[in-house]
Amino acid sequence: MHIQDGYLSTSVCLATGAISLGAVGYSLHRMKDSLGERTVPLTGMMGSLIFAGQMVNFPIGLPVSGHLMGGVLAAAILGPWAGCVAVTLVLVAQWALFSDGGLLALGANVLHMAVIGSIGGYAVMTTVRKLLGGGYRGTVAGSVVAAWLAVLAASAVFCLEFRLSYSAADFDFGNIFTLMVTLHALIGVGEAIITGFVVSVIYQQRADLIDAAQTSRNSAAASVSRVVATGLVCALAVAAFAAPFASGLPDGLDSVADRFRIAAADQSVSGLFTDYDTIPMAGWQSLSVSVAGIGGSLAVFAAALLIGRAIPMNSPTIAAEASGE
Amino acid sequence: MSDFWDRYGRSVSICHRLPPVLKLALAISVIVAGVAIPVRYWPAYGVLGCLVFAGHSIAGIPLGYLIKRLLIFLPFVGSMAISLPLSQGLDRGWDLMWQIMFRGCLAFLVSLWLVNVMPFEQLLVTLRKLKVPAVVVAILAFMYRYVFVVWDELDKMRTARNARSFSGGSLWFRWKTLSQMIGMLLIRSLNRAERIHGAMCSRGWDGEVRWLDDQN
Repeated sequence: MHIQDGYLSTSVCLATGAISLGAVGYSLHRMKDSLGERTVPLTGMMGSLIFAGQMVNFPIGLPVSGHLMGGVLAAAILGPWAGCVAVTLVLVAQWALFSDGGLLALGANVLHMAVIGSIGGYAVMTTVRKLLGGGYRGTVAGSVVAAWLAVLAASAVFCLEFRLSYSAADFDFGNIFTLMVTLHALIGVGEAIITGFVVSVIYQQRADLIDAAQTSRNSAAASVSRVVATGLVCALAVAAFAAPFASGLPDGLDSVADRFRIAAADQSVSGLFTDYDTIPMAGWQSLSVSVAGIGGSLAVFAAALLIGRAIPMNSPTIAAEASGE
Repeated sequence: MSDFWDRYGRSVSICHRLPPVLKLALAISVIVAGVAIPVRYWPAYGVLGCLVFAGHSIAGIPLGYLIKRLLIFLPFVGSMAISLPLSQGLDRGWDLMWQIMFRGCLAFLVSLWLVNVMPFEQLLVTLRKLKVPAVVVAILAFMYRYVFVVWDELDKMRTARNARSFSGGSLWFRWKTLSQMIGMLLIRSLNRAERIHGAMCSRGWDGEVRWLDDQN
């Protein structure tokens, strides 16, 4: 999931860096309100935990294995602002210790995993939780849906950044979009399952941790911004599916890309619109995207239900695990 | 294993003795140059490559270590880069793939050099000097201090699980168990954070970060 240096052009890296800097700066400003003098130990420990949690490999039956990303998890425990800071600092430390993820691309990585993952994920999670009337089911379902949507939205943003980085003549944007979104719909299912299980364990053992993060913001302004953020994440996720279909015309995402490119003005603008028109969209593309979309959505909701059923409230096995060892 | 990432960070060489800010600036400028220089000026890449290898050899980082790290890194950058020609039906995108691979490896080697000539605590001091907010540096320092403790805790839980002869099961069951392990680890870590917070409070912690004069 980490973007290395070299994928994105310098101007895109700088632009994403500026957006991330603003978001993280605002998060720093806000997180002191909710955590007070517990900021450093709680956020630092959450960072260590995500760091260590990413070392747990989840087998998927292939030589490769998946791991937790943790944006939604951090936000579920710490709230959106401290969660965003925790994930950001995990990414910084991963670069500084492991050389994992690029330095120039740090802004993009923070945007995908911390800003969209934590702030966007939190907004989706609280909204879904409210719709389902809170409680255990609502919390777990909210975290599952949020984790899946956050990964999908991040992949859509990555595609946009990629589109802005390279000249349209070099490649067929629609194909890359299809591949990336299909892949991340699957990766997102993994993240959603892990996040759902972890949140369900925490809710059974220490529901206060999650409730504290969920109930701290209930003012009218907060709910408005939550609706906006939820809408944004959902729109990005929808855009991820819808964009390949709108191939014939210069659709929203593409024209936004073009406008940005004109503003950036580092490469020639001619021939941007021709690309989409001249390459006919093969039928398999739209088909695979919709299959991925429908399959992914079904899998996520099935996972939400299964996780809810697999671990009944106060199950004795977990209580034993908690007290044992 | 725990020293695998920055194994040569504490050895002595000219590179290690450079002022930390200069090291950071050098690394950033080489990475920026590597990403920003257009491909048509390809001889510049040769110069950058020589520079990077010179830096590694002056710092005394063995070639074998570099190759080992690169072998771990290549699948990541490769799998992402190969998706380009794959999505184009294998007839276009190869140039871009090689470009991404090369730039990625170059930037990775530069980061690796920086990690191995600048220990993490030196990075923290440098960040302080560069006026990064105190709370950010404090959280990073806290994270670095406790990530090894949490790692140990994870190891203990794994050992306990293996001692109870945990033997696979279905994929779904394994995912469930592993996730529950992370969940328990999270609860224990947060309990630990609360204990540490209590200890910090009893020593006069009020949320304000204070630093001794930087002794580098």
